[in-house]
Amino acid sequence: MILVIGGAFQGKQQFARDISGLEDWADGRTCGEEELDTCSGMIHFHEYIRNRLAKGQDCTGIAERVARTNPNVVLVANELGCGVVPMDAFDRRYRETVGRICTGLAAEAEAVYRVVCGIGVKIK
Amino acid sequence: MMGLPMFHVITGGSGSGKSAYAEQCVLDLGPAERIYVATMYPYDEECHARIARHRQMRSRKQFATVECYTGLAGLRVPAGSVVLLECMSNLVANEMYQEQGAGEGTVEAVTDGIDSLLGQAGHLVVVTNEIFSDGLQYDEETARYQRYLGEINARMGCLADAVTEVVCGIPLTVKGGKSS
Repeated sequence: MILVIGGAFQGKQQFARDISGLEDWADGRTCGEEELDTCSGMIHFHEYIRNRLAKGQDCTGIAERVARTNPNVVLVANELGCGVVPMDAFDRRYRETVGRICTGLAAEAEAVYRVVCGIGVKIK
Repeated sequence: MMGLPMFHVITGGSGSGKSAYAEQCVLDLGPAERIYVATMYPYDEECHARIARHRQMRSRKQFATVECYTGLAGLRVPAGSVVLLECMSNLVANEMYQEQGAGEGTVEAVTDGIDSLLGQAGHLVVVTNEIFSDGLQYDEETARYQRYLGEINARMGCLADAVTEVVCGIPLTVKGGKSS
């Protein structure tokens, strides 16, 4: 598994394409839930989690599960949680849940890249 | 503890794994009298749940928990103890908004508190928070909170032997070599 994270609009997707050579990507904004188990790569992974939370689903254990079911996947997610604590309870839960899942994924991943200004820095 | 940093500042966003990393840093120092300075004031259910989660994480790590919501400079800890303070963002909010808090004198009150702890503890680890990078414009009061916390973080960074940013549970060195 490879995890690519970074702030919004930093060139994560292009970087992920370059390092992986993957052409086909699931889009976390619109894809079905099961695609996490089957896709080769997924962009907007944070939106995938947001959609599931918005449906009232419990997302704990997702990191461990994907490491088992789809161990070679490349996941691209925004790094959230570096702003002022949001007023809205769902927003707070969303950013914390994405943070914890990405922490879990990073622990399982063979490589983690953080992209800033289009430049990917290997942090694991 | 020879050669290890005496003052370590750990920062990161929400859900970044900074607390777990900070606790591991304390454990890595070996057997010691461990003091956990808890700064989150339990004003609602969400805080209680958060505090319970952190207590669960710390159980069996042999920390004595001391609550300190304001007035850090008045806190006494055992000489030479290993002190973990969490989280600076809560302490700053308490000083700014609680009745007995320092209000406009928050930056001085907190930095005096850090100096005081450095004079007592054998090793100080402070967890703080990255709340500066979402690019949103906040109301004047929230911007003041960001400014105070930013100033305190910068002052701590200046004093610290090591500063680490935790990203997805991965420690990135900002200052100092060996992270501990």
